[in-house]
Amino acid sequence: MALIEVRDVSKLYRRDAMEIPVLANVSISVPEGDFLALMGPSGSGKSTLLNLLAGIDRPSRGTIHVGDTEITGLSERALASWRAQHIGFIFQLYNLIPVLTAFENVELPLLLTNLTKKQRREHVLTALNIVGLGERAQHYPRQLSGGQEQRVAIARAIVTDPVVLLADEPTGDLDAKSAGEILTLLQRLNTEFKKTIVLVTHDPHAAERTRRVLHLEKGTFVAQLAASGAQAVS
Amino acid sequence: MKFLSLVLKSARRSKRRTALTVLSVAIAVFLFASLRAVLDGFNAGAEASSSTRIVTQRSTSLFFAMPISHGETIKSIPGVQDVTWANWFGGVYKDPQNFFAQFAVEPESYLRIYPEILLTPEEKRAFLDDRTGCIVGEGLVRNYGFKIGDKITLQVGIPIYGTQDFDFTVRGVYRSGGGAVDNQSMLFQWKYADERSVEKGQAGWYVAQIANPDQAAQVSGAIDQKFANSPFETKTDTEKAFQSTFVSMFGNINLLLGSVALAVVITTLFVAGNTMAMAVRERTMEIAVMRTLGFQSATIFLLIAGEGLLMALGGGLLGALLARLLVNPGFFPSGGFIPEISVNNTNVAIGIGLSAVIGIVAGVIPATMAARLKIVDALRRVA
Repeated sequence: MALIEVRDVSKLYRRDAMEIPVLANVSISVPEGDFLALMGPSGSGKSTLLNLLAGIDRPSRGTIHVGDTEITGLSERALASWRAQHIGFIFQLYNLIPVLTAFENVELPLLLTNLTKKQRREHVLTALNIVGLGERAQHYPRQLSGGQEQRVAIARAIVTDPVVLLADEPTGDLDAKSAGEILTLLQRLNTEFKKTIVLVTHDPHAAERTRRVLHLEKGTFVAQLAASGAQAVS
Repeated sequence: MKFLSLVLKSARRSKRRTALTVLSVAIAVFLFASLRAVLDGFNAGAEASSSTRIVTQRSTSLFFAMPISHGETIKSIPGVQDVTWANWFGGVYKDPQNFFAQFAVEPESYLRIYPEILLTPEEKRAFLDDRTGCIVGEGLVRNYGFKIGDKITLQVGIPIYGTQDFDFTVRGVYRSGGGAVDNQSMLFQWKYADERSVEKGQAGWYVAQIANPDQAAQVSGAIDQKFANSPFETKTDTEKAFQSTFVSMFGNINLLLGSVALAVVITTLFVAGNTMAMAVRERTMEIAVMRTLGFQSATIFLLIAGEGLLMALGGGLLGALLARLLVNPGFFPSGGFIPEISVNNTNVAIGIGLSAVIGIVAGVIPATMAARLKIVDALRRVA
């Protein structure tokens, strides 16, 4: 059964009088437990699609269902609440808040819940332990390496136990070793913790670590590859 | 409460900028509270005036004197119970910087008509019995260290009193029993000044005690009518109006101080608003991230507005506290025109309230900017 169902989604950006199409009638299904890589050249629409799945942008046409919710029909307010409960987002540049410690950064999404301080602390430490940074909880982002910062960002994304993890080029700013560790961690989250993950990447090595790869070009899918860099399947 | 630490951490992000913003609000509130205290001081004398005292001065100006014979004439007007008179002396104590008011008064009637001048019976007796004696307010004692028995020498400030210095002996220290009487003046016997005056028998103004406050206008009119078409025409008014005349010698104080206070507040508003707007612009990415995590626009608005409010309130508390500590009776030498000035609880509360208003108004636009931020545009801008 598909957890994410994208139907005939198009996205146009308006710049002055011009309309710039970014996605054109895109449809995909992402089953629960999938680990999908979206690949394509710059401007192909992969990050736009990820933003639409996250509910931080709205399609010009088409519908997106995540679980039982049609997110394209939600108000801004409802969409924000939905994101807080169902989506974990991982950015390329980590985007941790510099004045907060690793612990406080991970705790941030939990401030929107009704959990007690003690419960929040338990959740945060669990998430930090999963990403292997339990002992760095009181460190500020500037005291961490790029790879560690991204692991804190992943802990922030999983701390609310969301259904879906969306990662926008999470290894794009890391060296090969750190990138490998992040991909291993994402694989573990997919296999061990059953998280459904959609990953946007330019990196074929990163795509190889996923279950499926979809190629976008000029706003449409051009090919679907099997996992581990296998041949095109459609 | 769980968002408070987030607001505090954000405010501490740029410590120097936060400190300067807090300081600018503190200075604004300090000035505002101090100026209000000065205004209160100016108004207090008039507000506390007696309704049974009317004051007669020359119709041309307070600077011109009248014959001493006017006193008896005024006393004969129906409704007048008692009369006293006084002159402005304008002497200099050691240095012109040491400005305080000195009045040559007819002592017995003056103390009778002004029961707010509180002296012990011994001090009163000593003052009345000594032609060169004087009494000083306890405010002067604080400022100049005068004590009973001290000799005070005043240089002549107004040529009409000749050129020779006047020597006085302090015979009493009076306390003020009401806002109509300040405690920063020196009173001495009128006849001591008069005997050395080039023009003898002149009074600066008369104060009449009337039986019925409701008849103040009628009695005043009768006094002025009595001297109409004479070389020394008079203008009689209530004590409140007379106090206001003194204040008006400084110009339109309400407008002047009010304008300064308003300019300070508006300037601070712009400074604080600009600081908050800069802070929001610098935090575009963070705000976009928080929105992505599920923070509502309203929550972002409250976090940013709360930060502005917190900084402004911090400044307000600091400014109000400083004003309360520093603006005391010695802060503004009013020279006896107005009662002592100090920042009271009302001014402290208004100052802190004002800082809250500055915080809210300065934070509204940046907070709205932050709340309306389009997540995708913001992320793209910083990517």
